[in-house]
Amino acid sequence: MGALVSFALVAAACGGSDDNGASPGTDAPSVTEGDAPPDTEGDAPPPTEGDAPESTVDPGVVIDEDDVVEDDTGPKPGGTLRYGLEADVNGINPTSSSLSSPGLMMSNAVFDTLAVWTPEGKAVPFLAESITPNDDFTVWDVKLRPDITFHDGTPLNSEAIAVNFEAQRADPLVGLAVKPFYPEEGATEIVDDLTIRFNLLEPNAVFPGALASQLGYVASPTWIAAALEDPNLNQAPVGTGPFMFDSRSQDSTTRFVRNESWWNGDVWLDAIEFVPVTDPDTRTDLLLRGELQAIQTTNPASVGDLMDEDSIQNIIDETGEESFAMINSSVPPFDDIRARQAITLATPLDNYRNLINLGIARGADQGFIPESAYYNPDVVQEGDDPEGAQALVAEYCAEKGAEINTVLGETATTCTDGKINIELQYSGPAVVQTRIADILSEGWQDSFNVTIDELPQDEHILQTALGQYNINTWRQFGAVDPALDNVWLMCRTVGFISLNWPKFCDESRDAILLEAQAITDQAQREALYKELVQKINDDYLYIFFSHTIWDNAFAENVRGMCEHTTPEGVPMQCAIGGRTWFHAVWLA
Amino acid sequence: MSDGVGVGPVGVEMAAGMEASAGGAVVGLSQDETTKRTLGIGFWISITWITVIVLAAALAPWLPLKDPDSNFIAAGERPPYSPNGTHWFGTDQDARDLFSRTIWGARISLTVGFVAIACGMVFGGLLGMIAGYFRGWWDRVISFVFVVFLSFPALVLAILITALLERSLRTISITLGILSIAPVGRVARATTISFADREFVLAARTLGASHRRIMIKELLPNVLIPMGALALLGMAVAVVAEGGLAFLGLSVEKGSTWGKMILTGAGSRDLQKAPWIAFAPIIVLFLTVLSLNFAGDRLRSYFDVRETAL
Amino acid sequence: MRYWLQRLGAALALLLAVSMLTFGAMNLLGDPLFNILGPAASDTSTEEGRQIIADAKAEYNLDEPLPVRYVKWGSAFVTGDFGVQFSVDGQPPVADLIKERLPRTLMLLIMAQLIAVTLAIPWALWSASRADSVVDKMSTATTFLFIALPNFALAVLIKYVLSIKFEIFPLIFNAADPFWTRVWQMVMPALTLGLPAAAVYQRLLRTDLITTLQEDFILTARAKGVSRRNVLFKHALRPSLFSFITIFGITTGALIGGALVVEQVFIIPGLGSAIVEAILREDFPVVLAIVMLVTAAFVVINVIVDLVYSLIDPRVRAS
Repeated sequence: MGALVSFALVAAACGGSDDNGASPGTDAPSVTEGDAPPDTEGDAPPPTEGDAPESTVDPGVVIDEDDVVEDDTGPKPGGTLRYGLEADVNGINPTSSSLSSPGLMMSNAVFDTLAVWTPEGKAVPFLAESITPNDDFTVWDVKLRPDITFHDGTPLNSEAIAVNFEAQRADPLVGLAVKPFYPEEGATEIVDDLTIRFNLLEPNAVFPGALASQLGYVASPTWIAAALEDPNLNQAPVGTGPFMFDSRSQDSTTRFVRNESWWNGDVWLDAIEFVPVTDPDTRTDLLLRGELQAIQTTNPASVGDLMDEDSIQNIIDETGEESFAMINSSVPPFDDIRARQAITLATPLDNYRNLINLGIARGADQGFIPESAYYNPDVVQEGDDPEGAQALVAEYCAEKGAEINTVLGETATTCTDGKINIELQYSGPAVVQTRIADILSEGWQDSFNVTIDELPQDEHILQTALGQYNINTWRQFGAVDPALDNVWLMCRTVGFISLNWPKFCDESRDAILLEAQAITDQAQREALYKELVQKINDDYLYIFFSHTIWDNAFAENVRGMCEHTTPEGVPMQCAIGGRTWFHAVWLA
Repeated sequence: MSDGVGVGPVGVEMAAGMEASAGGAVVGLSQDETTKRTLGIGFWISITWITVIVLAAALAPWLPLKDPDSNFIAAGERPPYSPNGTHWFGTDQDARDLFSRTIWGARISLTVGFVAIACGMVFGGLLGMIAGYFRGWWDRVISFVFVVFLSFPALVLAILITALLERSLRTISITLGILSIAPVGRVARATTISFADREFVLAARTLGASHRRIMIKELLPNVLIPMGALALLGMAVAVVAEGGLAFLGLSVEKGSTWGKMILTGAGSRDLQKAPWIAFAPIIVLFLTVLSLNFAGDRLRSYFDVRETAL
Repeated sequence: MRYWLQRLGAALALLLAVSMLTFGAMNLLGDPLFNILGPAASDTSTEEGRQIIADAKAEYNLDEPLPVRYVKWGSAFVTGDFGVQFSVDGQPPVADLIKERLPRTLMLLIMAQLIAVTLAIPWALWSASRADSVVDKMSTATTFLFIALPNFALAVLIKYVLSIKFEIFPLIFNAADPFWTRVWQMVMPALTLGLPAAAVYQRLLRTDLITTLQEDFILTARAKGVSRRNVLFKHALRPSLFSFITIFGITTGALIGGALVVEQVFIIPGLGSAIVEAILREDFPVVLAIVMLVTAAFVVINVIVDLVYSLIDPRVRAS
C-alpha cells in the first residue's frame, strides 16, 4: 500500500528542492534543440532502419568550450568520481521506482538502455543491435546483441526484455505511462532468443525514443523477481551497465564500482559515488571547493556562478524542461476557464523572471524554445495584468462564488470578499521554493486568497496525480522528441491517478498528438505542434515561467564527459535533462 | 528526588528542559554567588531594548516602514543589495527590505513567545500550585504529568504537534505554550510547597479561609514573583524555539519570522556573497534573547528566587 | 534495593505514558489512513478506491479500536520490530532505517560532549582560581553569550567562520568516507552543540569549585603545602563531580533536541533529518520509533545518573 506514495516512472521524485518547481521526471528523455543556432529539431522519428526521416537537428547540448580542457594524453584508469545530485531517490528499479533526473543518472551507471540519443537527436540502438519498424510504425522488432550478461550472470535475451516490460506494465504506478499505449494481450512477442516484437496500439514513429527512456533500461530478470519478494533489493540494482552496484546509504552516498567486463569496452573510473545535496547553493559550493567532482543543477544563480568560474567545465542544456505553474481544471474554481485566465493574468511574470531567472534562464512563452522548429511565435505567455484579473474574478465570483473548493475543505467556498480562494502547492522545504511561492502569492493577492501548502516532493507529486491541488509549481516537457511528452497531455492518462496532471481532456488535442507521432514528414509535424502550442495556450492550464537550464558541471580534472559512443562508434548525446553517461569519463 | 523519576535540582532541570526546547537558549543562570540587591545597569539596558523591540513590533503598521513584501528591484542591478541609505539592513535575494521585514518578523516571533509563556504561566502556575498546596494524589499525578512532558526532548514534541496540525500562528504559539507548562509548573509547585507551611498560610487556614482564598490571596502573590522572572526567560526560549522550528521547515506558514529570515540567508553561497541576509535577523534575535535572559536572570537574583525554586 | 526497584518502575511507567501519549496523538490528531493512502483515503466513489481503502485498513489494523492497536504496536516494538514505513514502498523497515541513522547521531553527541567536557574543566579551574577578577568576569560573560545564542544561529556563525571565510572544515558529511574523515566532517556540528554545553558545565563547575575552595579540608591541604595545582585537581574537583554528573545527564538529553536542528543545518543524515522527513510525510511508524528511542535514552541516562550519583554518595539511597 505504501507503494502508492512512491510514484511512477513518470512521476518521479525530482529536484523539488532545487530550483524551479517540482518536476516529475520525464519518463521521456529530454533534450533536443540546441540553445544556440536557431534550428529545427526534426529529431523525431528516428529508427535505425526503415524510412526514418533525415534529421536536421543541431546539437542539443552546448559545452562551455572555453572551459573544457584539452588533453592529449589518452584516458587512464583509476579514481573515484563524486557526483552531486539534486535529490535522492526511493529506489533504483526501473520497473518500479520513480526515476527522475537523479534516478536516471544512477541508472546510467548500472543499467544500459536499448537505445540512446545521438547529438543530432536520433535514437540509435545501444544495448539492442537493431530496432526495426513495420511500414506503418505499429510493430517494432528489437534485436539484441549476443553474449551479454547481467552483473549477476543472468544472460541478456528477449525473455529478459519481456520480463522487464511486463514488470513495468504491472506496476500500479510505473504502469500508468505504459498501459495506455499497448494492447492488453500480445504487447510483446518473442521472435527468437535475441529478438522481441513490440505491438503498439497506434502508429508511433518515435518508438525508439521511448527505448532511450526509463522504458529502455534493462534490469536482470532474476533480480526483478527477487525484488518483488523483497523490496529492499530495489536499493541494490543489477543491470548490464558499465558500473556495478556496491553500497548505498539512503540520503547519503550510493556507490558503484567498475564493471571489468562491460560489453561495450573499457571503463576508466574505479568507482562513482552519487551524493544527494538538495540545496543547490551548497551543491555548487561543494564542487567549487573540490568536495565533489561533478554536480547537476537547474538553479539559475548556481548556473551563473559556475559559468563564471574558469576551473569548472559546464555542459549546458536549455532544451530540457520548462518551469511553470500548473492549474487543476477538475476542481472549482479552476474548472472555469475565467478563473484560470484570471490567475494567469495576475501572475507577476516580470518579478519571477527578474528574481528567480536572474537573466540566466530565459523567460518562456510555451513548451518550446524560440530556436525550436516547433516554436509558435504567435503565442505569448500572458501575465502582469492585475486589473484584467480583477475583472474576471469579479465576474466569476458573482456567478459561482458559492461553489465548494474541495481542495481547501469540505465547506470552503470558491470566493470570499470578492476574491477567489485557492491553494498553492509546492515541494519543499527549500528556500528557493519558498521564495517562488512568496513572489507568486504577492502578485496574486489582489484577486486571490492564497493558502500555501508545502509538501515533501513525493507527496506533492502524489497529490497532484490525484488531482488534490488548485495550482502548483512544476517542471516538465522538453522531451527530445515532442511526441514523447504525449503522456502528459492525452485524455487516456486522466483517471483516478492522472499523468495528465491538469485533468484536462480534449479529443481534438489527442487527434493532433496521435497524428504527429504517426508521421515522419517534418514540415507537417511542425505545423501540428504549432497548432498544439496555440491550443495549450488558449486553455490556460500552464503558466510558463522559464526554460529550465540544466547544467552538468565538472571539476577541471574530469575528462571524457562527452566522448561516449555506441559499439558502432556513433557518438551519444552528451547530456539529457541533467543526466550524463560515465563509461568514457576518466580523471586526469 | 522524592518522586523517583526526578533528575535533580528543579532550577537546573527546568533550565535544561527549556534548553531542550530551545536548543540552547537558557540555562540556570542564577548561580551567581554574589547576589547584589540592585538590578544594575545591564538590566535597564536590556529592558530598554526589549521595550524598543516590542513597541516597534506593536506599532509596525503605523511606522513609516517600507512594505515588507514588496520587491524593490533597482534597474540594472541584481538583488540582494547590501545595506545602504535606503535599505538600512540591505535586502534579501528578492529585493525585500530587511529592516522592515525584521520588524514585521518581530511581530510574529514575539507573539509566539508571549502567547507561549502566558499559556505556561496560567496552566503551569495553576497546576503547580494545586500540586504544591494539596500534595497527596494531586501532587503525584500532576508531578508525573510534568515529568512525562519533561522527558520528551521538547523540540521533538513541538515538531510532532506542528506536523500533525496546520502551521498557523495559533497552533505554534499554543504548542510552545503546552511545552512551557511543565517547567513553569514545577517552579510553581516548588515555590508553593515552600510557602504552604509558613505562618501566614497556617494562620489563614486556622481562621477558616477556603482553599481557594488561601491560594489566591496568600500563595499566588508569592508564586508570581519567581514566575515573573521565569516569564522573561521562557519568552526567550519560545522565541528561539520558533527559530528552531523554522530551520526544520515547520514554522508559521504566513508572514516573515526571524527564524525564517535567518534560514533564507543561511545557504552557503548567500553567506559568502550576502551575509547580511542571515546576520541582520541573527543580531536582532540574539540581542533580544540576550536581553530577555539577562533581565530575567537579574530579576531572579534580585528577588532571590533561587532558594525557593529549590 | 527497594529504591532501585521503585526507580525502575517509575522509569517504565514513564516510558509507557510517553508511548501512549505519542501513539494516541498520532492516531487521534492525525489520520493514519490518510497518511498511508494520501487523498485516496477519502475516495469511495469507485470500486477500486474502496478496495484500496479496505486493504490498507486490514494491513495496518485500522479497524481495531485504538487500545488494541496500541498493544499490538507496543508488543511488536519491544521485540525490535518497529514496523514498516508508511511512505515510500514501505522500505527499508523502520528498524533498518534507524540502524543506519543512529550511529551518526550518536557520534555527533559523543563528539559534542567530548568537546564540552575537555573545554569546560580546564576553563572552570582557570576561572575559579581567579574568581571575581576581571578575566573571570569576562569569561562568565562569554558563557552567558554562548548560552543565549540560539543553536541554529551559532550553527550559521560557525559555518560562516570555519567553513566559508576560512575553508578549514568540509561542508558536507559523506557516509562513504573512512571513519576519521567522517569525524573531521562532524567537527563543526559537534562544536555547535558542544560550545554551549561547555559554557553550562563551566558555570556549574566554577561555582562549585569556588565553594569547595573555601572549605576547611582544602585550606588544610593548602596549609600542609600541597601545591595549588594539586589542590585544584585532586581535592577541589572531586566533590564537584556530583552536580557535574547530574547536569551532564540532563545536557545529554537537551543535546538530542539540539542535534535535530544542527543536523539540518550541516546536512547530516542522522536521526534528526529522519524524523523531520518522516514528520513531513506523516510517516508515523518512523516518528514513533524515533520518539520512543530518544525518550528511552533520556530516561536511561537519568537512571544512570542516579546510579552513579549513589555510588559516589551513598546517602542518596537512603533518601
